Amino acid sequence: MSNSPDIVYLDYAATTPVDKRVIARMQEVQATAFANAASSHAAGRQSLDVVTSSARQLGALLNVDPDALLWTSGATESNNLAILGAVRHRAHRGKHLVTMRTEHKAVVDVFKELEKQGFAVTWLSPGDDGRVRPEVLADVLRDDTQLVSIMHINNETGIVQDIESLGSVCREHNVLFHVDAAQSVGKVHLDLQALPVDLLSLTGHKIYGPNGIGALYVSSRPGVHIEPLMWGGGQQRRLRPGTLPVDLIAGLGIAAEIAAAVIDDEYSRLAILRETLWHGIRAIDGVHVNGDLNNGYPGILNVGIDNVEGESLLLALEPLCVATGSACNSQSQEPSTVLRAMGRSDLQAQSAIRFSFGRQTRPADVKFAAETYRSAIERLRGIAPERAT
Amino acid sequence: MSSDPYNAMVREYFAAPQHAGDLEGAAIGYFSDQGMQIRLAATVEGERITTMRFRAWGCPYVIAAAEATCRRFEGRPVAALEEFATAQIMQELAVPIEKTGRILVLEDTVRSLGQAIRDSA
Repeated sequence: MSNSPDIVYLDYAATTPVDKRVIARMQEVQATAFANAASSHAAGRQSLDVVTSSARQLGALLNVDPDALLWTSGATESNNLAILGAVRHRAHRGKHLVTMRTEHKAVVDVFKELEKQGFAVTWLSPGDDGRVRPEVLADVLRDDTQLVSIMHINNETGIVQDIESLGSVCREHNVLFHVDAAQSVGKVHLDLQALPVDLLSLTGHKIYGPNGIGALYVSSRPGVHIEPLMWGGGQQRRLRPGTLPVDLIAGLGIAAEIAAAVIDDEYSRLAILRETLWHGIRAIDGVHVNGDLNNGYPGILNVGIDNVEGESLLLALEPLCVATGSACNSQSQEPSTVLRAMGRSDLQAQSAIRFSFGRQTRPADVKFAAETYRSAIERLRGIAPERAT
Repeated sequence: MSSDPYNAMVREYFAAPQHAGDLEGAAIGYFSDQGMQIRLAATVEGERITTMRFRAWGCPYVIAAAEATCRRFEGRPVAALEEFATAQIMQELAVPIEKTGRILVLEDTVRSLGQAIRDSA
């Protein structure tokens, strides 16, 4: 898929192609474990066995008890369930919440909704390196703070937050800590037995699994509870009712197992790819990295450029499939709130391009990307008036 | 209905504009606003525009519209500049409603060019 004649796919942070082994496993399950996993008959138990073994596979990737995992439709639902569910359960404790301005919309919009409902939200701005310092977090926590939500790897910039230190601050203050790990699960090691994380969101389609399936980890630590957002059945301890999509769950399970097997090799390979791309474009006048080449996740390289219009740049980059700095969805022309929070101007944010790499990306792809980027910049600057912004 | 936001004409004019560049000794029309800049240059013989070039900084529709404008006026009377309206170009390029404001400023740029030609006469 990544290198058909028409496209060069460098948008793995948006979604990853489904692994062939995942497809094979899902087809097998669709044919053999079609029954409702909540049914007590033999066919139902067969489906339940698939769900149980898939939870073990995902649990092994995260080093958690499989019973601590709830299946959801993806990271957006997991984020909603974690934040709203925890806040509702702890409403008696107070109405103060903390998150960052650089979070994904699936978190930002939940907090905005809670603000409308009367909660006080402290929006942390990142430092120059895109991170929030533990002492900065500690300073804003209050007696009535219920929950802190901070993403692990930023989907636009690849910046990695120090969730171990941030989670420790939360533990010291007896505040729940939720992590949106949609970009980090299966990409970097996560040991949830060791990390001070209470709630963690993930999704299948970022790790070569299917769309439409995700999970929420809910720690068994005393004091960590969530309320359901939906009602309608007794599945998943009534916390997330609904008939389980056994085939999708099986797909996420095998995707997690594959990710665990390749995680170190893939991380090293992506680092080389990112360096190759940056080396190929860094001499361009006005180019800069939106992120951190030293400590950021190597599967993402977000590049800004001065004096080039973003939408034209994106079209000139075809056949590269990349993302712009116009929010996380291509339908929006609004400049990325993440890049704006990092101090970029609207024009700088709109001309930012996110290259993201994955298992099917080859060195030839990033060399082609570098050449395409260079020639696109040269062409657009060649058309622009001398006084261009 | 195509999911491609750009029609074939936008893609062609954006990818390979034949009129991008400068003209020595030409009259110049210029417009700049946040998010876009257009510069039109034209040479004239008698009352007729002989050659027209553009420079543009903006979205693909702005670049394609500038190219379309140059193609339209080469060989036409200078007086036609005063009657220029972008409606037909916008229709040909299938400019989405939220981008029409950017294309409308072409009218100001073209009139600015007409004024520059008159001033240099």
